[in-house]
Amino acid sequence: MDQPTDRPTGVEHGIAGSGGEVRSFAYSDVLTSDEAVALEGLSEKPKSFGRLAWERFLRHRLALIGAIGLVLIALLFIVAPWFSDYAFDERNVRDRLLGPSWDHWFGTDEIGRDLFVRTAQGGRYSLRIGLTVAVLATVFGALMGAIAGYFGGWIDNVVSQLVNLILVVPALIVLSVWALKFGSSANQLSIVLAALLWTRIARVVRGVVFQIKEQEFVMAARAAGASHGRIIVRHVMPNFVGVIAVEITLLLGTAIVLESTLSFLGLGVKPPNASLGTLVADAKGSIDNDPIRVLTPGFFIVLIVLFVNFLGDGLRDALDPKSKAEH
Amino acid sequence: MTEPLLRVDSLGVGFPSKAGVVQAVTDVSFEVHPGEVLAVVGESGSGKSVTALAIMRLHAKSTIITGSIDFDGIDILGLDDDQMRSVRGRDIAMIFQDPMTALNPVFTVGNQIVEAIQAHHKVPDDVAWKRAVELLEMVGVPEPKRRAEQYPHEFSGGMRQRAMIAMAISNEPKLLIADEPTTALDVTVQAQVMEVLREVQRETGSAMILITHDLGLVAGSADRVQVMYASRVMERGSIDEIFYESRNPYTRALLDSIPDLGGVRERLEPIPGNPPSLLNPPPGCGFAPRCSMAVSACSTVVPELVPVTDGHASRCIRVDDLVPVGGAA
Amino acid sequence: MTALLRVDNLVKEYPIRAGVFRRQIGTVQAVSDVSFELGHQETLGVVGESGCGKTTLGRSLLRLIEPTSGTVMYEDQDVTAASKKEMRSLRRNMQMVFQDPYASLNPRLPIRDIVAEPMRIHGVSKKEAGERVGDLLRRVGLLPEHGNRYPHEFSGGQRQRIGIARSLALRPKVIVLDEPVSALDVSIQAQVLNLLDDIQHEFQLSFIFIAHDLAVVRHASDRIAVMYLGRVAELADRDALYEQPAHPYTHSLLSAVPIADPRRERARKRILLQGDVPSPANPPSGCRFHTRCPLAQDRCVAETPELRDVGSGHQVACHFPIAPGETLLDRVGAMGRTVEIAST
Repeated sequence: MDQPTDRPTGVEHGIAGSGGEVRSFAYSDVLTSDEAVALEGLSEKPKSFGRLAWERFLRHRLALIGAIGLVLIALLFIVAPWFSDYAFDERNVRDRLLGPSWDHWFGTDEIGRDLFVRTAQGGRYSLRIGLTVAVLATVFGALMGAIAGYFGGWIDNVVSQLVNLILVVPALIVLSVWALKFGSSANQLSIVLAALLWTRIARVVRGVVFQIKEQEFVMAARAAGASHGRIIVRHVMPNFVGVIAVEITLLLGTAIVLESTLSFLGLGVKPPNASLGTLVADAKGSIDNDPIRVLTPGFFIVLIVLFVNFLGDGLRDALDPKSKAEH
Repeated sequence: MTEPLLRVDSLGVGFPSKAGVVQAVTDVSFEVHPGEVLAVVGESGSGKSVTALAIMRLHAKSTIITGSIDFDGIDILGLDDDQMRSVRGRDIAMIFQDPMTALNPVFTVGNQIVEAIQAHHKVPDDVAWKRAVELLEMVGVPEPKRRAEQYPHEFSGGMRQRAMIAMAISNEPKLLIADEPTTALDVTVQAQVMEVLREVQRETGSAMILITHDLGLVAGSADRVQVMYASRVMERGSIDEIFYESRNPYTRALLDSIPDLGGVRERLEPIPGNPPSLLNPPPGCGFAPRCSMAVSACSTVVPELVPVTDGHASRCIRVDDLVPVGGAA
Repeated sequence: MTALLRVDNLVKEYPIRAGVFRRQIGTVQAVSDVSFELGHQETLGVVGESGCGKTTLGRSLLRLIEPTSGTVMYEDQDVTAASKKEMRSLRRNMQMVFQDPYASLNPRLPIRDIVAEPMRIHGVSKKEAGERVGDLLRRVGLLPEHGNRYPHEFSGGQRQRIGIARSLALRPKVIVLDEPVSALDVSIQAQVLNLLDDIQHEFQLSFIFIAHDLAVVRHASDRIAVMYLGRVAELADRDALYEQPAHPYTHSLLSAVPIADPRRERARKRILLQGDVPSPANPPSGCRFHTRCPLAQDRCVAETPELRDVGSGHQVACHFPIAPGETLLDRVGAMGRTVEIAST
């Protein structure tokens, strides 16, 4: 201790007493001990990502309710008409404006059409538009967002300006004009809706990709010689699927609501076809004396949007490897 | 010895989580005397910062706190929120690691110091402002009059930390808690800020708890050291007792594992393994799985923090086997 | 000495843009005229404070960032002029370990795939890559079974081991280590430093070791370059640099680092530099250190000092280098100036 310029722990720390248990830190010891400790924290048998995601999803109670609910609604819309004696456009003037009964589960409308069959038909139509729009807009939006975020620079500038331009355009007006001028088949409506709605996803994805590409693991992939394609597919995309899962469900809901609004305004689906929106519109005259006719299709719109949101939440958690399988 | 300013007695802090309670601080007792600098050293997860937050009562409502904290005759854990607010910032002040996020970006630096003063003293604006400028000058901010009117983003990292210190000492607290005050700063700026911190601490006569992982910082700035590991105090003593006469295997291993700026050591002696989980901690001494001196009893009983000499205590059942050779033991 | 890696006059400039049209209003010289050589199985430490350009330098060497000018030669291949295809094969020889063990591993991939990726990119079959992953994991102190797990299940130290295993996958000759231990707790730092030491011998590697911790750099390096605001201030063998620093900045930097030895700490006079590191967007004229240098004179403001040899490979970029046996304090005293000394 008379050499203050010695190393920090300048004193030779001898260990008195029984020498038997004293162990030195040879390198091999370090590794074996480390392995032991490493193993200690990681002793559970590993599972594949898919399996873990599935387990996490199953434990997410709301998501499960959402998924089952959606399947049930879809089944109801598809299967129900088989068991009905009526066609969706079949008029029965004597049975006008009937309330719910064994014969007509949801009652009938002003010209005597069975509302249960019409709701199912309208529901199918709405779901179809919702799904088509969600898929189209997500694929296109994610692609644009990913390209803009990944490459940055002028590409990003162009995409961002385009997105801003579309975001300030009032969707409802464009849709109305489009429907009046070019007609409103399900496919046409879907494409126009998708063209208006991809921007949200593009913005979200662009932001996420911007973050991801700055992460060191992307740098590491480049250092290993990975191509842009490989980096985008293997490193960037898997890291925004969670975000997309949420966005795609929100989009599905938005599309269904927008289509319903259009139909409600008389610009969507043309009679005798129906969508959930036209059914609400058709029944609006009877809201005071027979609210059930408005409420039934409205109830399905709300239910679908709700279930879809539950599902999105669950998907996000399930696809995040960091989230624990406890809910 | 004088009456202690702060007396922490068997403090426990637990964070409830879905998987159970994470026990971040277990049975921690210590005292801080007026005017002294106590360094609390440990690696991440040792409980050093959580202890400080408990003293400031800056933890979430759901946190489970046991034990007692006596500050200058006040039972800190027994105060209601209003009473605690009047203690915080006036009697006990805290300096955080990241000056970037600890200052509000939409107010001028001067304004924020004024606010800190007026939170506890009814003084007119112009008096408080004058005091704010004085404080900035005291912590070595050049052109304090002009700088007081600037916003945090116009300050460099080092200057921001100085502003934080000015704010912390604005009410002449009896106790300063500095949580990794220089970790986010460059080496040359670190030295400046530590110097300022020590100067103001000496000038105001306040006691300081210096929380850090940097043993170098401790060597130059503290009077006493408390080493923490896996939520418990492992050893406590004067700075020389800890650095030269340690009676604890963890302290020794920690000192052995750092590379030395002055000497040449070809091989480092790492501590094998990783710190234990604080959620279901293993029985016995938290360090036992990594300890080169562990015996079978170490993994069954948690050793007591036993006094070695007056003021020097160590938590190790083999404390008597750890005698410094040629040391002042 | 035939150099394995040779860097000449490397420059990396970033444009500063502003306004709607992203007009360029200036440049940041992150790396400014840096030259050095790296020998076989040598470790060159690169040390400096934030904004000194050390990370940009490391990334430019591998062209993860495109250098603005200058050349990097690997053996007799010009890295800076390599085509895409040539670059791919060069990457087999030059690898990198990153600072942040939390950000440098893709959270969506199991460890097995992370470590195998470089091999898969370079055409190793899935089966063979899988086998080698097991060996690599074992080599860095983990177990092959860990391959099935995801990064978040590992501690910081373990993750850094995984990053090291990935960098070894292609059996490179040079590894750029960018702050490989600064995110780790001290007891874990030592484990990783020892591991690096071992693999260097076992795989005959040359390292560029980038860090801000002077003690860690001294421990790990054979030669050390001290950088300040994009330039190399001093480059020398490790002991010469730490015991006989010639640049006033190196002196001040060493002086600022607290030593974990209370007695030595009390005995020492620590010089306190004034001010903060200036912004690299607007670096001082002449010698970039002159705004904080206690020895600065008119010439330092006007003229940029070149990096020159002051004897046996000890290079320094200073008009008035400190001679062997002299200290910064001696010189300051001789000039009739004063510096602030820390009070402990």
